[in-house]
Amino acid sequence: MAEYPAHLVQRHRLFDGRAVTIRPIRPDDEALVRHFLDELSGESRYLRFQKWVHAPSEKLVHFLTDVDHDRHLALVCTVPCAGGEELVGEARYVADQNGIHGEFGIMIADDWHKTGIAGLLMEALLGAARERGLQTMEGQVLTRNAAMLRFARGLGFSIEPMVGDFTTMRIVKRL
Amino acid sequence: MKKIWLENYPPGVPAEIDPCAHASLKELLEQSCLRFHDKVAFSNMRATLTYAELDRLSGNFGAFLQSRGLAKGARVAIMLPNLLQYPVALFGALRAGMIVVNVNPLYTASELRHQLADSGAEALVVLENFAQTAGQALAGTNVRHVVTTQVGDLFSLFGRWATNFVVKYLRGMVPSWSISGATDFRTALAQGEGHGLGACTVRAEDVAFLQYTGGTTGRPKGAMLTHGNMVANVEQTAAWIASTLTAGAETVITALPLYHVFALTTNLLLFVRLGGRNVLVTNPRDLESFVAELRRTRFSVITGVNTLYHALLETPGFGRVGSAHPGTLKVAVAGGMAVQRSVAKRWHELMGVPLVEGYGLTEASPIVCANPLGAREFSGKLGLPVPSTEVSIRDERGAEIDLGEVGEICVHGPQVMRGYWNAPAETAAALTADGWLRTGDMGWMDSRGYVEFTERRKDVIVVSGFKAYPTEIEDAVMLHPDVQDAGAVGVPDARSGEAVVLFVVKKDPALTAEAVLAHCRQHLTGYKLPRRIEFRERLPKTLVGKILRRELQADAARSHG
Repeated sequence: MAEYPAHLVQRHRLFDGRAVTIRPIRPDDEALVRHFLDELSGESRYLRFQKWVHAPSEKLVHFLTDVDHDRHLALVCTVPCAGGEELVGEARYVADQNGIHGEFGIMIADDWHKTGIAGLLMEALLGAARERGLQTMEGQVLTRNAAMLRFARGLGFSIEPMVGDFTTMRIVKRL
Repeated sequence: MKKIWLENYPPGVPAEIDPCAHASLKELLEQSCLRFHDKVAFSNMRATLTYAELDRLSGNFGAFLQSRGLAKGARVAIMLPNLLQYPVALFGALRAGMIVVNVNPLYTASELRHQLADSGAEALVVLENFAQTAGQALAGTNVRHVVTTQVGDLFSLFGRWATNFVVKYLRGMVPSWSISGATDFRTALAQGEGHGLGACTVRAEDVAFLQYTGGTTGRPKGAMLTHGNMVANVEQTAAWIASTLTAGAETVITALPLYHVFALTTNLLLFVRLGGRNVLVTNPRDLESFVAELRRTRFSVITGVNTLYHALLETPGFGRVGSAHPGTLKVAVAGGMAVQRSVAKRWHELMGVPLVEGYGLTEASPIVCANPLGAREFSGKLGLPVPSTEVSIRDERGAEIDLGEVGEICVHGPQVMRGYWNAPAETAAALTADGWLRTGDMGWMDSRGYVEFTERRKDVIVVSGFKAYPTEIEDAVMLHPDVQDAGAVGVPDARSGEAVVLFVVKKDPALTAEAVLAHCRQHLTGYKLPRRIEFRERLPKTLVGKILRRELQADAARSHG
């Protein structure tokens, strides 16, 4: 496992004045991740996993939290709260065996849509991928997820239909 | 898109209908009851209801609901198979301005509970045979008034006694139940009669039905169909077939369940509008009795789905149905699922009338397209858009594409729903900002305006015309403590069009397919049940954990073949 990439920690102030932190995920974030997934609407979970996730399993929480910061990099967006910090968004990529192509996924808490944090997370994620020498980033997006497709187009992704499958689109960006 | 289909309309079919022909379904019914009062509106197992009786009994039932304090807009769930009580309860609720929530009587308690809770239903009308399930589902819902009925409740005195006795005691078809405060149907009618139906203005924009349909994100959601939507679709369908039929003189075979929007509109509402007689078939799975009934009935119209027509053609004795009353059948409609060419051919040869395919969906009340009745043979296409309906084929970005290119079939017209009940995100995904309905079906339009279906989005499985959503099936399967992961996909099936194949990743290695199926039966109605269950070490997923449905589908197709 690569060292914790502390240089990826960023602090931002959103246009509405709220302060957020973007940082690589840590193994001790499991409780935050579990709470984040539990609070997410069924629709948001469906759009991310493209499958109904009734109750996030321990296996899933572990997969999302226990990353090597190299082939699998995950960034979280947190805000301060009474008990410490709260997770309001996350984005990650997993690279292929050769470390050339990456696939990404992103989740934003339902109350935090349209605050700008998705853009901040993606910008940081794409920057980190470039830094690690990845050449392309791609994603699998449901056709009905119009908001995500618009967002991806804005980030410079090209959108391609999948052969023989109208439910999902492939989005790709050269890094 | 230019309405190129209009040039190919059969003679006599107008381009536009009057969507305000009736202000509401209440007015539609009341006009028919006046105009056709002594004609038979419904028959079932040799018992009948005339339009005058339907008027009186539905008025009494509406009055009963009002007497219980239910207001206009209250939701009334109806959980009945095709029986005479169905139109009485339905029109009773609609005439009192209430919203009908149709419930599949074969639902499990958890499916029923969801629908009752989601719709906020305050009353439930249920056949005693399903009252045990209902009793288990009521906790945590707003249902305060339950009306129970027995199969023979609207038969003549002797028929009622004999039928109810046979169903309950000889056939043992009524599992024991107990619902405190339940009122029996006949008592409700008597109470309503004493009360009298209070005046109620029902407008076109008032919601008439919350018609539940599966959802891609888990549980079914209620399509809000207004009185205006339903009246428009009845007029659209009437305009399509009016030249063939005579008001007050037609008999339609209603074997498809009325809780489903297809039979609700094309059989019940359309033929009430035309003053026809609906022959309600309670159990079409009893094919022998069904065929016997067809042989002794002079019917002019029949509706069905491929599965039903196929089953009829396979039943001994069906060959004599056509010759029993030669020349009386005018129209045979098929909808809900693609019709197999072989079924269409055999039907045409035997009955002398082709199967006319129509296309629709719950969100469009349901009819969108239909094939011309005068067609010499089965087209295999969805048909032309019906009057006052626009169809546009669009790409994934929502832009209209060229004729002949495959894209998503999108619909605009007075029959398109207002949205889903309490589900703004789902509504926004289904309806565009300018009011077009995205059907989720892929197809193309030829130069004559005929729409042809190519494939369905991969997230829905259509079993004998019923939509089963993988998400709902997976959600139910995942409740089993020994299941780690589950994925459901559809595979082509000769009998039902598609069948559900379920892939399961075990948490406990001792888990068996039988145990999974038994669990599914607890939570899912028959058509959603997996035809086959396969165990896998893991489900195919992308690097970041998104399921690869098309790989799962390919796996299912390989092992199904």
